[in-house]
Amino acid sequence: MALFPLTSNFEGDFVLQLVAVDTDNTMDEVAAAAAIHSVGRRVRARPGHILRVRQQGATEFLPRDLKVADAGLKPTETVEIIWQAA
Amino acid sequence: MAVLNRMDWYDLARTTNWTPKYVTEDELFPPMLSGEFGLPLSAWEKYDEPYKQTYPEYVKVQREKDAGAYSVKAALERSRIFENADPGWKSVMKAHYGAIARGEYAAASAEARMMRFSKAPGMRNMATLGCMDEIRHGQMQLYFPHEHVSKDRQMDWAFKAYDTNEWAMIAARHFFDDIMMTRDAISVSIMLTFSFETGFTNMQFLGLAADAAEAGDHTFANLISSIQTDESRHAQIGGPALKVLIENGHKAEAQKRVDIAVWGAWKLFSVLTGPIMDYYTPLAHRKQSFKEFMEEWIVAQFERALTDMGLDLPWYWDIFLKDISQTHHGMHLGSYFWRPTLWWNPAAGVTPDERTWLEEKYPGWNDTWGQCWDVFIDNVVDGNMAMTYPETLPYVCNMCQLPILGTPGKGWNVKDYPLEYNGRLYHFGSEVDRWVFEQDPERYAGHLSIVDRFLAGMIQPMNLEGALAYMNLAPGEMGDDAHNYAWAEVYRALRETRKAG
Ligand SMILES: [Fe+2]
Ligand SMILES: [Fe+2]
Repeated sequence: MALFPLTSNFEGDFVLQLVAVDTDNTMDEVAAAAAIHSVGRRVRARPGHILRVRQQGATEFLPRDLKVADAGLKPTETVEIIWQAA
Repeated sequence: MAVLNRMDWYDLARTTNWTPKYVTEDELFPPMLSGEFGLPLSAWEKYDEPYKQTYPEYVKVQREKDAGAYSVKAALERSRIFENADPGWKSVMKAHYGAIARGEYAAASAEARMMRFSKAPGMRNMATLGCMDEIRHGQMQLYFPHEHVSKDRQMDWAFKAYDTNEWAMIAARHFFDDIMMTRDAISVSIMLTFSFETGFTNMQFLGLAADAAEAGDHTFANLISSIQTDESRHAQIGGPALKVLIENGHKAEAQKRVDIAVWGAWKLFSVLTGPIMDYYTPLAHRKQSFKEFMEEWIVAQFERALTDMGLDLPWYWDIFLKDISQTHHGMHLGSYFWRPTLWWNPAAGVTPDERTWLEEKYPGWNDTWGQCWDVFIDNVVDGNMAMTYPETLPYVCNMCQLPILGTPGKGWNVKDYPLEYNGRLYHFGSEVDRWVFEQDPERYAGHLSIVDRFLAGMIQPMNLEGALAYMNLAPGEMGDDAHNYAWAEVYRALRETRKAG
């Protein structure tokens, strides 16, 4: 395990933000870490939704239990955190 | 004995080129400092300055300008304008002085480079006067705020800001270092005087002079109008240089310099001037929206200046025209949300009345930026202040050094423009910022943004306190809401009425 910086582009928010995660974190944990800096600050929570992670420009989400270390992300790469109806 | 008219001797007197015998022309005018365009002295002798002024005339006029501005200040010193001013107006002054005053001294050294190294005698004469202008601007804009330092620590940033690692100052320095401190004399004339001064300082200074008069701050209004009269003269240094370049087949190089400088200037204005015009200025005093101002000064006037010169509009003009109704809203929300990192107190500017104005000027504002502000306002009304502050850094652009942002809410279009270069991943806020980097990667690649510095461990401890210390923001200096959140009362009252109803 090691600290791993990512850039969060959170759906509905206005700015990219630095998010520090761990290489052992899953994509669900990445989404939760990103949400801390957007939801309740500038973005309203959406009941009945979960948050998914995808690389910028991708149409497919990364699997929810995929670990950061196995996702092929570069340090500081931008990931989009997207609301998905549960 | 009759004195000759100026025009009978001016051209001859300033024809100061000669043929060097003891050194080569390249030693007298090293291309790195004089411009690598391969043009000989004779080509530059065709440079024809539109504004011909002699040294005695200059001294006489400047003396009168100084006397005017300083006597207004002296007369109003006991008027308590500062004490009684709207807090939003004080913030305008603080932001302006900090971002501009010391930059004027830097501009003096850029003018001095044209004065010594330009091969065009006319440019050397104009830049001699321009250099003295900039020294005057630096001195005045340090002297005038000084009377307020004892009343308000943030005023000290007029002097201090330029030496700090405060994020907006890193952005300002990165831009000014690029266009005026590290370029040859000819490029300075194009990028600083033609692009930045003709295009943008007119707007900052004329717009602010009008706002200052509205706010009743006649000292400040006089000061900056006085400065602007100098700017409008020495801003004309670049035009004739562009003409020489274009006539000698160097249009592409000239165009590229204009394109780079105009974009950087735009980004800086979107963070400094945009929030001032559309959010800090009290509603009753607003004349035009920032977008309307941009359309009048940049789109209409500067566009004409470009085409008159025989240049094209920058390739990104469509992007620019779209961005002038968007970018500065994000810059305001960002600088406001990260307000402890400012040396002034930003005004929120989002009461229901102000939002009606924003919606009218920028249709869709409530469904986009308004959605972010709704969450913010609920937190203030609920007393949930912890959630009104950030707990991480915004990611900033490796070119303009400003947050990478876009439109939020229903118009969500935020996007990163990444680029890998020599194994390092760079991030840019727009296609244009990335394009600027790609024009000369080695020039920019070594610079570390505030986020890069944080990740490199240069900011310790790695939290908000560490970041504020790194930015040299002492307690009593860091920004908070200009009106101490009094504006949120109306929302509290609205909620009570709704409950009662
Ligand atoms: Fe100046
Ligand atoms: Fe100037």
